[in-house]
Amino acid sequence: MTSGKGGVGKTTSSAAFATGLALRGYKTAVIDFDVGLRNLDLIMGCERRVVYDFVNVINGEANLRQALIKDKRTDNLYILPASQTRDKDALTQEGVGKVLEDLKADSFDFIICDSPAGIERGAAMAMYYADDAVIVTNPEVSSVRDSDRILGLLQSRTQKAEQGGTIREHLLITRYNPERVESGDMLGLEDVLDILAVPLIGVIPESGGVLQASNSGNPVILDTESTAGQAYDDFVRRFLGETVPHRFLEVEKKGIFKRLFGG
Amino acid sequence: MSSQAFELKGEMSLLSVLLLSATNMSEIQTTLDEKRENAHQLLDRSPVIVDCQKVSEQATELDFAQLRKMIAETGLIPVGIRNLPEALENAASESGWALLRHGHSRVRATTLPEKTEAVDEDNATAVDSSDDDGTTAAVQRLRVVQRPVRSGQQIYCPDGDIVVMQQTSAGSELLAGGSVHVYGALRGRVLAGVQGDKTARIFCQNLEAELLSIAGRYRLLDDIEDDLKGQAVMVYLEGEKLKIAPI
Ligand SMILES: Nc1ncnc2c1ncn2[C@@H]1O[C@H](COP(=O)(O)OP(=O)(O)O)[C@@H](O)[C@H]1O
Ligand SMILES: [Mg+2]
Repeated sequence: MTSGKGGVGKTTSSAAFATGLALRGYKTAVIDFDVGLRNLDLIMGCERRVVYDFVNVINGEANLRQALIKDKRTDNLYILPASQTRDKDALTQEGVGKVLEDLKADSFDFIICDSPAGIERGAAMAMYYADDAVIVTNPEVSSVRDSDRILGLLQSRTQKAEQGGTIREHLLITRYNPERVESGDMLGLEDVLDILAVPLIGVIPESGGVLQASNSGNPVILDTESTAGQAYDDFVRRFLGETVPHRFLEVEKKGIFKRLFGG
Repeated sequence: MSSQAFELKGEMSLLSVLLLSATNMSEIQTTLDEKRENAHQLLDRSPVIVDCQKVSEQATELDFAQLRKMIAETGLIPVGIRNLPEALENAASESGWALLRHGHSRVRATTLPEKTEAVDEDNATAVDSSDDDGTTAAVQRLRVVQRPVRSGQQIYCPDGDIVVMQQTSAGSELLAGGSVHVYGALRGRVLAGVQGDKTARIFCQNLEAELLSIAGRYRLLDDIEDDLKGQAVMVYLEGEKLKIAPI
């Protein structure tokens, strides 16, 4: 899960994605690559259970089993938290590669790498071993530009690319706000697709449910009432090969009950 | 502690200038390694010129062949060297450096043709060897790019044409010794005829380019008539004037 720009929803999306895959029975690990600014553990609600972290494993100070946190709500789901006290230089390419290999050997079906912002070491490490890249983009010019930059790096700075292959690219647009698109404050879906020319895998609407979910440490995909939760579920299904129409793209005409009780 | 054997500056975001502030080769190597470590994506395959302005006094200590090799190994493309004392020009040129005239640092679009005229066969080989298809042919006449050219990416074909099968993004650059064809939206910068070929042309399906240049004559998007924007066009030189015509 990568983006270039920060604050676009990578961590929110990583948590939702990993949870959605695990809910469908896939053994899934989600790794926080944002060393020094960890917050995946908060969003997954396991911050009090962190003993060892990704950097400890890379440095051989703990083994994977000790560091992986088993999710309490969802079977098949494991979190590898980032270190709060190191910096991104602690991530070595060999070290990261070894952890990913060990997870595969431990029969994990999916490993979700939550990339930090930027295009430097942390982001480079998160993308290097990828088979698939989900490019998380907000419908605004700077986010789209940064995603374009990341798409360029994905073409040259991954192991697959170095071996002459390509990785699968998926565009996930988050914080989509149809009102603001209509008023011209935000880029529309078509504009984003035109600029980036990458297959669209999901559009997550701006939703109060996301903040609520992260405050309570529950991935938003578990909140089946919220539009964001539903859109993340659609995204996971598409990723697994189902054909699911996109939703929440139009401005909702609010009925009297919605107006009274909120959406 | 980070060493400071030079400062790396973008110049009009077109060409990077490596402004040397030390002449000790191992010091330069250390700084190169650090830049590589911290910004390896940014440095990838950028053509770079070395500016000796700050070190012209001690420039005799420079090993020019070694310098070229070190820069190329970092993933940069050493294009030329400037602000070198006259006495050293020969030595630099013998090691394969293109000698650039002093100080002209305004727009690369205008200066590049003059300086690359000095590029010799050796230099062309060095430049070519960085192509992502891994070929090391001495001269590449055509470079075909199948994927979109993204922001921050640069396609450099000093001795031939570039064909892009898809779009190019704002913040990308195409540099060709010959002509450029883009079968999609053209949103980045395009420089054709960078070695001074005035017959080079640019063709695209949808003109939104940030900068168009042929043999150093250039136009920015803002200077382009509105009715040509978004159109399929051909760009060519008529005398000294850069013309854009719908096709
Ligand atoms: N669909 C959404 N609707 C509303 N707020 C969102 C949405 N997605 C993300 N956010 C908020 O945006 C902020 C940044 O999200 P985060 O996932 O931490 O981004 P990143 O990991 O890319 O830095 C958080 O405060 C999060 O709650
Ligand atoms: Mg994050």
